[in-house]
Amino acid sequence: MPEVARAEYLEELANLEASALGGLDLVNTALTRTLEAVEHQDVELAQLVVADDDRIDGRYLEVHQALITLLATQSPVATDLRLISSLLHVLKNIERMGDQCVNVCKVIPISGNEPPADEEMVGLILSMGRQTKTLIVQAKRAFEERDVEMAQDLVRQDDVVDNLNRDCFRLAIELGDDADKREWAMTMLLAARAIERIGDNAVDIGEQVAFVVTGLFREFEDASHPEG
Amino acid sequence: MLGAATKRSAPEDSKGEMADSRGVTATSTEPVTAVAGQPAKTIEARQVNLFYGDFQAVEGVSMTIEPNKVTALIGSSGCGKTTFLRSLNRMHELTPGARVEGGITLDGEDVYAPGVDPVAVRRLIGMVFQQPNPFPTMSIYDNVAAGLNLNAKKVSKAQKDAAVERSLRGAHLWDEVKDRLDKPGAGLSGGQQQRLCIARAIAVEPEVLLMDEPCSALDPVATLAIEDLIGELKNRYTIVIVTHNMQQAARASDVTAFFNIEGTGKPGHLVEVGPTQEIFTKPGKQETEDYVSGRFG
Repeated sequence: MPEVARAEYLEELANLEASALGGLDLVNTALTRTLEAVEHQDVELAQLVVADDDRIDGRYLEVHQALITLLATQSPVATDLRLISSLLHVLKNIERMGDQCVNVCKVIPISGNEPPADEEMVGLILSMGRQTKTLIVQAKRAFEERDVEMAQDLVRQDDVVDNLNRDCFRLAIELGDDADKREWAMTMLLAARAIERIGDNAVDIGEQVAFVVTGLFREFEDASHPEG
Repeated sequence: MLGAATKRSAPEDSKGEMADSRGVTATSTEPVTAVAGQPAKTIEARQVNLFYGDFQAVEGVSMTIEPNKVTALIGSSGCGKTTFLRSLNRMHELTPGARVEGGITLDGEDVYAPGVDPVAVRRLIGMVFQQPNPFPTMSIYDNVAAGLNLNAKKVSKAQKDAAVERSLRGAHLWDEVKDRLDKPGAGLSGGQQQRLCIARAIAVEPEVLLMDEPCSALDPVATLAIEDLIGELKNRYTIVIVTHNMQQAARASDVTAFFNIEGTGKPGHLVEVGPTQEIFTKPGKQETEDYVSGRFG
């Protein structure tokens, strides 16, 4: 009899967790490239991010299927069940984060080859991106270490992203009446909004950390009842 | 009110002992038609210690078994869950040398109080066993009516017919056997035999049904049929089920109690009892978590 009962199953579950969270590394790479593409108006790099999103989608499908198989064959309960349930959520979040990078990269060609770029606006978007990358890394670590406090801190980190997003909006209004500039600002707002959503997804992953640890799901921040 | 021991209780008890091993108990009252959703009775166990001679099998079990709920007792072999189950209707004491300490009450009435007739207790708290055990030579009808036939009072044929039909319907068996009630019970399939035993147990209108691994000898289809039946029976009875099948506990019960032993020769004890949904998603104790997750051995 093996020292640990169900050793193979437990190893499989641990591998699937690593594989799912590895999706966050893929997202981090995609976001790094996305920001570079925004900074340099690099359409080719943007197209690479779009094409590479298949890897994130592939990871989602592969791990999702394997988790369903574990559910079907191993009857996981208690912590194992909560972990699998949360990984299914986290995978969906990761897949959405990848899609948001694609959304940003798709608006880059729209803004033209030599857009009337405003340095301050680009700077704000890059700051948002860097802060969001911090959130992605922190979400992954909080999950790996089952650290609820670290997961809850994602809300504070995400507030920084949200504030930068509002700054982008204000700046877009101030950019004046020039039609080209306004059009460019609009596309950049779409980019900013997409990055802001990546931050929200990182917070969602933090909520799953709390669920795995405590067995209770609650939203860290209730957007519908912000005062509550 | 639990029946007090009478002069008759000694011989009847020994008769009951034989009958009890078949899940049938003598009854001293006429069957009353059960009403769906009616409140059943609550069992309270307080610091129950159970012994076989010098060997203590169960130590310090305190729990409330709630009415109209299915309570599953789970735990590895030898953890005392079946012994505890058998103490609830005073079957434990049928084993020579067996002894009970602590208190067990049924709606506040001590089932071990001096003067309480064990047979009356077993009428109120029926038992269904692991192996379906219909009386092999008796017809299906007589199997169900067996408990009624042990009545002190004469039961009319019409009353008996009604009780047999009601019990067989209650056990989801009526449609399958209504045209062959005079055929031997042993001719039924395993799953049907177990439902026949459940019909026999409910024929005497108990308040509580104890089930000792009722599905372990059955195939998956028959198992699910019994689980569905258990889900329905809880509307009328308090149900306690011992099972080795954790998924069955998860599927069929409302409350789960986990028993464990610290080592060979040690008494079994209650580790944790709680809503089944909690025990299988976020148990309170690591010991429970390890067991329900299969991390034992």
